Amino acid sequence: MANSAEIARALLTSAREGPALASCTVMGATDDVDVALGAKMLVYADRLLGDLGGGPLETAVITFARDAIPRHLVQTCAFTPSGELVEGRRAIEAADAIVEVLVEVVEPAATLLVVGGGHVGLAVGQLGAMLGMDVAIIDDREDYANAERFPYEAQVICGDFAEELKRFPIDANTYIVLVSRGHKVDELALRTVAERGAGYVGMIGSKRRTRTVLQHLAEDGVDRDELDKVFTPIGLDIGAETPEEIAVSVLGEIILVRRGGGAQPMSEYGRFLATTRR
Amino acid sequence: MPHDEVFEAMSTAFEGGAPVALATVAQTLGSTPRKTGAKMLVREDGSFVGTIGGGCGEAEVWQEAMDTLEDGEARMVTVDLTEPVDGEDKICGGVMRIFVEKLEA
Repeated sequence: MANSAEIARALLTSAREGPALASCTVMGATDDVDVALGAKMLVYADRLLGDLGGGPLETAVITFARDAIPRHLVQTCAFTPSGELVEGRRAIEAADAIVEVLVEVVEPAATLLVVGGGHVGLAVGQLGAMLGMDVAIIDDREDYANAERFPYEAQVICGDFAEELKRFPIDANTYIVLVSRGHKVDELALRTVAERGAGYVGMIGSKRRTRTVLQHLAEDGVDRDELDKVFTPIGLDIGAETPEEIAVSVLGEIILVRRGGGAQPMSEYGRFLATTRR
Repeated sequence: MPHDEVFEAMSTAFEGGAPVALATVAQTLGSTPRKTGAKMLVREDGSFVGTIGGGCGEAEVWQEAMDTLEDGEARMVTVDLTEPVDGEDKICGGVMRIFVEKLEA
């Protein structure tokens, strides 16, 4: 059994530096279930810290938690003591015995890597910083890649795109936005990052131009499945015009990828007056 | 959302041998100021780190946290934000279930 101090240190390390883990806490149980309220288990991709007392419940929570990590999930789930996931309020109320477990992914802030320090890159970085992401901006022109240009916390990198991008660490928690000065640079950048397992790669440009870029890279042997995952043209369709509006559209898309959602106005999910008037 | 401040405060308290109460939003229904996983850590002197949602119900949860530090009993607290206070509707209008537990090294 891991003690609270070990658990606290492990949570802090994962929140600051990674690796991502799913923290599982028993928050409720019907009287007849033998499990301690507050029991904690940290589930990493490849190991565990702490336990929920073993048995089928623990096994089920571990499986659920491992699956939660790539989805950045934070959710309280109900399990039967024999390890079945029970979903929906009615099913939970109808069940004889239930254990409630909060499964919450703990990981460092996501990285937003902005390729291109122009007007759009400036706004995308600003919004990313506002959303609590660690922002990095790369450009090869000193006028567009200097600390004074970015009035928010960002790592500003001035240098050759290909070289700097090769050096930049990329993982599933890295979100890459290609908004450089032209599609030649975007193509070069995409070639460098496409196959490195980023959580998101989006590239600005018209349908025609972005298709040409994808075609070039496919012909050059870049993995087609990876190219298929690129969000291009970039952003949600909200009619964005200005750099700031485009930033909202791009970060909206990134939130959608990260959290899931329907990408519709919430009101579309239930038009109260429209349905009652009829 | 990383909770580094809460985890750091927890680690620091444990290094000094002090217990803490941790309040974590377990579930929300309707419109609530913070969502599942939001945390507030309360120390024995009543100081706290993190938030489970500003004014809406936080004072109530703080009191439960202080009680938990005293008796050591983990508990689930339901905060109902749908009832009017002082003749005004609370702005949030949802229900939060908050798990409060005492933790010590």
